[in-house]
Amino acid sequence: MSWLDLMAIALFPGYAFLIFMAFFLEWLDRKVLAKVQDRYGPLVVGPAGVLQPIADFIKLLSKEDIVPRGANGLVLTATPILMVVLPLVALTFVPINGREALLPFEGSLVAVLLVLVFTALLIFLTGWASGNVFAAEGAMRSALQMLSYEIPLALTAICPALTAGSLSISTIYRRQAEAGMPFLLALPPLGALSFVIFLICSLAELERVPFDAPEAETEIVAGWMTELTGRRLALIKLGRDLSFLLMASLMASLYLGDPYTPKLGLLAPLAFALKVLACAAIMSFVRGLMARLRIDQTLRIFWTYMMPISLGVLLATKLALMLL
Amino acid sequence: MRTGLVRWARASSPWILHFNTGACNACDIEVVAALTPRFDVERFGALKVGSPRHADILIVTGPVTRESRPRLLRIYEQMPEPKLVVAVGTCAISGGVFSGCYNVCGGAWNVLPRVDVVVPGCPPKPEAIIDGLIRALELLRKGRGVGR
Repeated sequence: MSWLDLMAIALFPGYAFLIFMAFFLEWLDRKVLAKVQDRYGPLVVGPAGVLQPIADFIKLLSKEDIVPRGANGLVLTATPILMVVLPLVALTFVPINGREALLPFEGSLVAVLLVLVFTALLIFLTGWASGNVFAAEGAMRSALQMLSYEIPLALTAICPALTAGSLSISTIYRRQAEAGMPFLLALPPLGALSFVIFLICSLAELERVPFDAPEAETEIVAGWMTELTGRRLALIKLGRDLSFLLMASLMASLYLGDPYTPKLGLLAPLAFALKVLACAAIMSFVRGLMARLRIDQTLRIFWTYMMPISLGVLLATKLALMLL
Repeated sequence: MRTGLVRWARASSPWILHFNTGACNACDIEVVAALTPRFDVERFGALKVGSPRHADILIVTGPVTRESRPRLLRIYEQMPEPKLVVAVGTCAISGGVFSGCYNVCGGAWNVLPRVDVVVPGCPPKPEAIIDGLIRALELLRKGRGVGR
């Protein structure tokens, strides 16, 4: 391993860049939500409030650390660390610099889907180990929600993989450039349908509005995060920002590849980042538009509508590829 | 330098927990008005959080009744240090017109170990509440709670 590889892992497009990008996405999320609600959002901390997530992070790191008597301290120490590490690892499989992933290998799409399942399990574990009824309730809802969105998410993520003939995210991204158009526009309307299903499943995966029943602050305090304080909460918040970045960059690399970005040289990371920001902005916009669904409504939507639709889109994609 | 960074971060990210100890809702409406579009304290980084474990600033409204006293104390104790208490409205400061009632323990002064900022008024305007919040942030910037 050369010196340059180490720099790539540590700085760009590695961990330092990813963490700062995650903070930037949180700021964007808060700003877009504020604009939808006719507010300013973060404004005074740094230019246009862009340092707000960093200030939040440092403040939480410096706060008192409380582990309630009924909680399992070991689990509450392990889960926040894992919740940062898992998305960071998964993000190295995504071509975040617009050309090639840090770790491109055949099957990285499956590895990312596995990481998403683990993240959901960690959320359940955190809530369960908190020793608090609200946290346990949030954990249960989170587990239920995972059972609903996981299958449509996997089914719809297979569509671009089928078209590209590969399970490596980097290869899927490159094949779109070779084909000359993003998968979003391929086999119309199948690519677009698959994108919409992926978007809805991402919202559920990230527990964002309208699927934020696991942390519904108006009914169960803060859901599975209720008992977390100080640095544990700081790491969990960072982990969730990283998951947000992961889903947005997955969307950008699986559906929005184009022939021009990889040829831009030094500007390729910027072009890819713009796509990621656009995907994140869509998710933030939805957050401002919708109300929260009850957990049974979430389950019904996913099992009665999203499941058959995603299965149908997958079969139609396969059929179209065989016929065309 | 480290202390400076921590002070800056604490003064830039006040997460608010709002607790009504028996107010007539006038102060609560004004607190909510401070949080919503027209006044929007999120400009200063303030977020309204649901869990006392996440909060930095406890906003108390209303006279503390005998029923709400143990709840107020428990919520205060659940908050991690450093924490500040802002008493909003005359009732939260002294009990207001209800002081001396058989079921009222007085204001937040009389119940909590400390109240850092008071915002008088019946009810105070959102501008006054924002002013009180900024004064609480000044306390944090001056180093309240650093070293704990």
